[in-house]
Amino acid sequence: MIPLVRPAAADAEAPYVARLRSAANDLGADDALLIEEDAVGTAFAGRNGVVAIDGLASSDLDGDVVLVQPLTARVERLLRAGSSHNTLLVTERCDQLCVMCSQPPKKTHVDRFDLLEQACLLATPGALIGVSGGEPTLYKDRLLSMLEHVLRERDDLQFHVLSNGQHFEDEDVARLSDPVYRRVSWGIPIYATDPDLHDLIVGKAGAFALLEASFARLTKARARVELRTVVLNGNVEALPDLARYVAARLRFVEAWSIMQLEHIGFARGRWREQFVDHRRHFAPIAAALDLAALHGVRAQLFNFPRCTVPDAYRRYAIASISDWKRKYAGACGGCRERQACSGFFEWHPDEEAELMVRPL
Amino acid sequence: VSALPVRVMPLRDGRSLFVNDAGGFFASGYATLERLSDGDLSIEDTNFLRSRGHLIAEDDALGAAAYARGIAERLAFAGPLDYLILVPTLRCNLACSYCQVSRVSEKSSGFDWTDETLAAVLGVIDGLTVDRVKIEFQGGEPTLRPDLIRAVIERCSRFSRCEFVVCTNLQRLDAEILSIFDRPDVFISTSLDGNAATHGRHRTGSETRTGAFLDNLALVTSRYGPSKVSALPTIDPGAPPEIDDLINAYVEHGFESIFLRPINFQGFARKRHANAREQDGEWRSYYERFVRRLIKRNWSDRSRVLEETYLSVGLRRVFRPGADRHVDLRNPNAMGHDYIVVDHDGTVYPTDEARMLARSGVIDLSIGTVLDGWAGETRDLLTRHATNQFDPACQRCAWQPFCGRDLVDDLARYGRIDLPRHETAFCRRHMHLFDLIFDLIYSDDPAVRYSLARWLRLPGTPASFGEVLQ
Repeated sequence: MIPLVRPAAADAEAPYVARLRSAANDLGADDALLIEEDAVGTAFAGRNGVVAIDGLASSDLDGDVVLVQPLTARVERLLRAGSSHNTLLVTERCDQLCVMCSQPPKKTHVDRFDLLEQACLLATPGALIGVSGGEPTLYKDRLLSMLEHVLRERDDLQFHVLSNGQHFEDEDVARLSDPVYRRVSWGIPIYATDPDLHDLIVGKAGAFALLEASFARLTKARARVELRTVVLNGNVEALPDLARYVAARLRFVEAWSIMQLEHIGFARGRWREQFVDHRRHFAPIAAALDLAALHGVRAQLFNFPRCTVPDAYRRYAIASISDWKRKYAGACGGCRERQACSGFFEWHPDEEAELMVRPL
Repeated sequence: VSALPVRVMPLRDGRSLFVNDAGGFFASGYATLERLSDGDLSIEDTNFLRSRGHLIAEDDALGAAAYARGIAERLAFAGPLDYLILVPTLRCNLACSYCQVSRVSEKSSGFDWTDETLAAVLGVIDGLTVDRVKIEFQGGEPTLRPDLIRAVIERCSRFSRCEFVVCTNLQRLDAEILSIFDRPDVFISTSLDGNAATHGRHRTGSETRTGAFLDNLALVTSRYGPSKVSALPTIDPGAPPEIDDLINAYVEHGFESIFLRPINFQGFARKRHANAREQDGEWRSYYERFVRRLIKRNWSDRSRVLEETYLSVGLRRVFRPGADRHVDLRNPNAMGHDYIVVDHDGTVYPTDEARMLARSGVIDLSIGTVLDGWAGETRDLLTRHATNQFDPACQRCAWQPFCGRDLVDDLARYGRIDLPRHETAFCRRHMHLFDLIFDLIYSDDPAVRYSLARWLRLPGTPASFGEVLQ
C-alpha cells in the first residue's frame, strides 16, 4: 500500500499547501525545495518554512502536492505526481447510509475547500482529479465554485466527482451547462429500478425519486455521468431489469460501472449477507452486460479480478482499483493479464484472495 | 398520465409491435392491445411502459427528458468534412455489364485528373479541420493511376488517423500497387460475384481474366489476411447464384461479411438490366433465404460468423440510435457536408450514385467543383429533402426511427422524389428488411438468437432481444 499520510514536523502554525521539489529549476511560489534527506526522511523548505516528512525518500515525493498540517503533525499527499489515481476528500458528511458503504460518514464537516482548490491549481499538466466524500454536493455551491475556478485557470485539467445524485436542482441546469463542465464527470450510483429496493440499499426513504429528478436535470445540462452499481445479494437478480431501464431512461450516461463489493466499512461486517460470489453466480451480471451492449450502453466491471470472469466477458473487467490501495494475490505473479487486472483492495482478506484466483 | 404516441405494426407471428418515436419497442398480443386502446392499464402495465419510455407520467421529468433526448439521438448529425470519395480516373480495364458509371476504355485520354484538379484536391485535404480522415479511391479503376493515389496519401501525413480504401477490380497487380497496399492504413475493396462462372458472366467476360482476378485476390488475402480486404457481390436478381455457392466463394477467401446487393439501377445497368428498376418479391425471397441460410450455417459451424452486411446495419440501427456510420441509411442525410465525391474532371457530387446519374444523362446532381467549392443552392436543396422526418407516409410507419431516405435512388428510378413512399423500391426494400429483422428479433429459435448476438457483437447470447408486454 502506498502511504498517503505521513508524520511530519513543520515550522508553520496554520495548514498550507505546497508542491515538493527535489531540483531547483522553475520554482513556483508554492514550491518547497528539498534541503536534506537521510534514512529517517526528507526535509523541504518553502515560503511557509521547513517541513520534515518521515519515512519517504525525495524520489517518492518529487512533484507531489501536499497538505501540511502542523497541528496534527502530518502531511497528506493530495496529488501524487506519478499517479493517475488522486482523489480529494471534500467532506465526510453524507445524507445516505448505504448498506455497503466503504467509508461510513461522520457527523462533522471540516471545510478544506480553499486548500484543496489551491492544490488543484498545482496539479501536474493534464491531470484527472477525483473528488469524493462523504457527499460532496452537500456543499454544492462551494464545490461547483471550486471546480469552475480551477477549470477556468487550468484548461488542461479534468475532474471526476463521486456523488449520490440527491441535490441537483432545476436552477443548477444552467450552471452545469457551462462549457467548463465538459471536463467534469459525475460518478452516481443506482442500485435497482424498484424505488423501495434502491431506498433500502441507500438507507434513505425517497432517495430514488430524488435521484431520478437529479438525472433529469443532468440530462438537460448534458452533464457527463458515470453510473455506478455495486453488486449485492439484494440487487443482483434485478441487474438485467436495471440494464433495460438504463437503456431506456439513462441513455445519456457515458458509462455504467458494475462494481464488486469492497471489503471495508459497513461491507466488512455484512460480507456473508451481501457478497455475491460472481464466479458461481455470473448469469444475471452476464445478462446485464449483454443488454447494455445490445443497446449501445458502455458497461464495465470494477473490482472483478479478470480470471474470475468468464472469457466472453473478461474485456469488461478493467484495472479499476487505484494504485495506492491495490494488491495482488501471491499466485498472480505469473499471470499474463495482471497489468490489465483490477487485482484486490489492500483490505481484502488474503486467504480469500488466494482461493479466488487462477492465473491466466 | 399522458401516453406517448406509439405506432403499431403487425409482426409476422400475429402479435402487434409498438414502436415509439425514439425507436423503443415492445410486442404484445391482442388482449394487451385492447387494454392499451381502452386505457384500461394494470399497475404492471403502467410500470413496464413507464420504465421503458413508452409512457410519461406528468411528474416524470426524467421520462420526459429521456424521451426528448431519445428522439434527438435518432437524428443523424453531419460533422465537418472527413470522408472523401475520389475518382482519379474514369478509365478501366474491364467493361462489366452492370457497370454503375459509364466508364471509358483504358486507352482513352482526357478522363484523368489534370494537374490543376490534383492540386485542388490536395488543397481540400490541406483545409480539412478534423484529425481523422477516410479516403476512398473509386473509378474507373484507380490503380491505373498509382501516382495520384500516392500523392493523396502522402498529403495526409499530418492527420492522427487515416483510412484509405482502394476500390479495385484486382485485375492487374504490380510492385508499385503492392507497395501502396502494403501500407497498414490502406484497405482493399473489390467485387466478387460468386464462383468463377458467375464472376465471369458479367464482369471479366473471359476465363483468363477471371483467373487473373482470382489469383490476385488470393495473393492479397494471403499477403495481408482477410481483415484488410473486403469484397462485395453484385447480384443479377433475374439469375441469382445458388446461395451456398455464393457463400462458399466468400468463405474460400476468408470473407465473413457478404453485402448482398442487387444490381444498382444506374449507369450501364439502366440499359442492359432494365428489369433492375424494381426489386420484386422474388428478390426479397432470395434475400431472406440467404439470411436464413447464414443463420443455419453459423449455428452448425461455430468456427466463423457469416453475416449479410446490410442486415447487420439495419439491426444495429434498431438497437443503437446513433449507429449512423452507414450514410445510406442515416437520417437526415445531409448532402455535401461531411462527405463528398470528386469526379475525374473535378466535379463534386453529394454521393457516388449522384455521379452515376449525371454520367448517364438522367439528371445533373453535381453540387460544384473541387476548385470553386460546392456549398451552394443545389447542395442545400438536396439536403432539405434528404430526410424521412416530414414524409406523411413515413410519419405513420413504425420503422421510421430506424429507416432513412435516399433521394438519389428515387431520382434514378422515377425521375422524381414525390412519389408516395410505399410506391418506391427504397421503401419496399426497407419495409421488408425491417419486417424480417423484427421477425428475427422475436424468434424463439436459439440458432436465430445466436446469429443476432454475433452480428450485434454481444459477449453472450441474450434470452430475448425484444420485450413482450403480456
